[in-house]
Amino acid sequence: MNKVSTGKVIVCDGNEAAAWGACLSRPDMVAVYPITPQSSLVEYLAQFIADGRMDADLMDVEGEHTVLSVLHGAVLAGARTYSATSAQGLAFMFEPYFRTPGLRLPMVVSLVTRDAVSPTCVWGGQQDAMTVKEVGWIHMYCETQQEILDTIPIAYKVAENPDVMLPVNVNHDGNYLSYGVARVELPDQAVVDAFLGEKQVNWHACLDPERPMAVDPLTGGAGGIGPSMFVKYRKGLCSGMSEALRVIEEAHADWGKRTGRYWSPLIEEYRMEDAEVALVTIGSMTGAAKDAVDEARLDGKKIGLVKIKTFRPFPAARIAQALSKVKAIGVVDRSVNFGWNCGPVYQEVLAALYALPVRIPMMSFIGGLAGADITVEHFAGVVDRTFRLAGGEMATQPVWLNEND
Amino acid sequence: MGVAFDSIGFKASLCDGCGDCMTACSKAKGGASRISIVPGAKAGTFETAICRQCGDPKCVQVCPSGALDKDNGNGIIGWDASKCVDCLLCTAGCAYGGIAVDETVARVAKCDQCDGDPACVKVCPTGALEFRKAGTIFNEYGGKEDLFVPGLSGCQGCNSELIMRHAMRKIGRNSVLATPPGCIPGMGSVGYNGKTGTKVPVFHPLLTNTASMLSGIRRYYDRIGRKDIVVMALAGDGGTSDCGFHAVSGAAERGEKVLYVCVDNEGYMNTGMQRSGTTPYGSWTSTTPVGEHMKGKTQDAKNLPLIMTAHKCRYVATASTGYMEDLYEKLDRAIEASFEGFSYLHIYSPCPTGWRIPASKVIEACRMSVDSNFNPLWEYTNTRGLRFTHSPDNAYPITEYVKMIGKYRHLSPDQLAHIQAKVDEQVALLKLMAAESPPPQAAHRAPAGSSTPAGAESSQPARREIARN
Repeated sequence: MNKVSTGKVIVCDGNEAAAWGACLSRPDMVAVYPITPQSSLVEYLAQFIADGRMDADLMDVEGEHTVLSVLHGAVLAGARTYSATSAQGLAFMFEPYFRTPGLRLPMVVSLVTRDAVSPTCVWGGQQDAMTVKEVGWIHMYCETQQEILDTIPIAYKVAENPDVMLPVNVNHDGNYLSYGVARVELPDQAVVDAFLGEKQVNWHACLDPERPMAVDPLTGGAGGIGPSMFVKYRKGLCSGMSEALRVIEEAHADWGKRTGRYWSPLIEEYRMEDAEVALVTIGSMTGAAKDAVDEARLDGKKIGLVKIKTFRPFPAARIAQALSKVKAIGVVDRSVNFGWNCGPVYQEVLAALYALPVRIPMMSFIGGLAGADITVEHFAGVVDRTFRLAGGEMATQPVWLNEND
Repeated sequence: MGVAFDSIGFKASLCDGCGDCMTACSKAKGGASRISIVPGAKAGTFETAICRQCGDPKCVQVCPSGALDKDNGNGIIGWDASKCVDCLLCTAGCAYGGIAVDETVARVAKCDQCDGDPACVKVCPTGALEFRKAGTIFNEYGGKEDLFVPGLSGCQGCNSELIMRHAMRKIGRNSVLATPPGCIPGMGSVGYNGKTGTKVPVFHPLLTNTASMLSGIRRYYDRIGRKDIVVMALAGDGGTSDCGFHAVSGAAERGEKVLYVCVDNEGYMNTGMQRSGTTPYGSWTSTTPVGEHMKGKTQDAKNLPLIMTAHKCRYVATASTGYMEDLYEKLDRAIEASFEGFSYLHIYSPCPTGWRIPASKVIEACRMSVDSNFNPLWEYTNTRGLRFTHSPDNAYPITEYVKMIGKYRHLSPDQLAHIQAKVDEQVALLKLMAAESPPPQAAHRAPAGSSTPAGAESSQPARREIARN
């Protein structure tokens, strides 16, 4: 029982890995519109469908607004759906994107993260995904090509859980992961089929003459049952998000049993057991950060790392627990929170640590914008600066890692 | 439910007294005409005397021999020559002059509607005579389930409710209905706080994504073999022509099998009568107000149905609630076409509140919008091209239409001339398109424009001058 299945091994980039993850999850409908750096992902999907490898309706539509809109219709009719976008595409998609969680539509959309215009750029960064963090989608960030592939079926399992019923963004960094090539193991289709089971997408809200209902009547207003009904829906969404923390862990554990690959579902703690100083990372930068942690450890520095995999819902308690014993924290972001002059992940971690009885000094580092590298050397600088923070050298401004590159 | 019957309608304002109807009737019936055109009370006007096929026929009541009898199947009052004793009491009993002595045979004669295809109507050159099939519509659909609850909160006189109820009676329960933000959901069709006014699956798409959501629904149902569901929208003109146009255009380009009904009230009326891309030139709206420096909208409306023909949709048509028989025929064709490709039906629907029309005058305004060529009625298919379904000839001057509508109250002579010129230009273009289209059926040429040679200069529509008293 629970025999681990090893599938075929291929070498591919992150976009192809995402396409394989989608293919193996057997969506009924895939809607696509190209945008850098996502384009090759949808090209792979189109080719899979053209080759008969994937049995899905391909909707080549006139823009991202319609990409998500056709999927709304399809989910309400009963389809499992997939798409992917980036930056301006996400911005153009925003109107239906904004609506998806409120309709509780379980779908999976990859965000191939990219810095957002302006200044005009087409390269990786997480400004797009971070800008939409409060909309109500679940956000999972991947570190490697294999994690991208594996996280997509996991995301369907989470999205379609009756206690969750929310859309999921599986995010991978544009350029570094989208075009970076690595060894990837393809699970057997039978393994993914058994993992996902029957789709459960529209039992709660549907557009079906056999089950006639009005989907999304006007709700709210100041009179009658309006206010309480609106609150009920909003609280329901919050409850789905809270439940997702549990369901995400269960889904990752189940996937691990079937494939032998156990990804940290909410956060990953790396060499944190006796760490006095911690880095917090998200996405593909984590690989270089781990190398920098290893080098610092060789120098006898007690440093560890916390990688955030699930950013929405925010695993605040886990993060507070993981960081509770350190003396200083350096949070590295790949995007900017303009209102607070720091990185958005920094601000989130700051809020999570309020639960602790002690106040831990923290610093915001921002790097890797618009396709810039965050190298091991950059992280060595982050390690160094965070140790100085632990020693009492406070900072009032974020450190921009590529400022002098 | 009672039974209704078709009837021959007479529009006195269009009759020029030519008498062609009487000639045709005589010829068809081989004797005196059963229809008479007589001078009206005012000089230059005409009235008709023809059997009304009364529901409570006095002629039948007074007939002593049982020669006259109303057929409850088709509503026709029939005359049985073998029973008639030639007493002529019926001619005295009828107050309308609907039955009279045919002097050629010295017996009474009356209209029998030529088995549903009256000879008089066919020859009427001005459209004053019409064979109105509303009775057939009532009989066919009056008993069908109304798929909206009673008491939708539309404005008094609004035709949108008429369109919704009629369309859905015809389409039935095996459908999915999108009603994007606007008057149609605004009157409670999707509902409010957990209650709905619609009995079929209904939803608010976004204002901007109606055709896209419908595409997704249709594709999935096709995928799982439920191909008989009508996937449709009852959308407004603003969402269709402005912010949601990308979705409409994209769905049409992809040939999505969707029935898209645009109910055009020439603006964002539900939110307080703001201008849209389909608001006509000169209109007052709340965002094209009339003041010292502005006199209503300064741009012409975009012709959305014509734009849709350029997408080579499976079906495109314009319709008006002023001509329900035409609307019903087009609904049939539009529904059928929606199983093959994108099907677009554009229905003109005046807004009594926002256009400043008394509720009692809305249908008249609808008719005049068509009769003045402001809203010509036509249909298009990707294989048969464009044809008029209502003759654009002998149109009223546009002043006759705009004077019925308060939102045009301020128009200057220059503005009126601009509107007339644009209306003429539009009809000329449609005539060219109709002329170059293949005939819809081998035996049935387009009624107008088809005689215009391809590429020839189109003549201005012969405009009918109204008798002024």
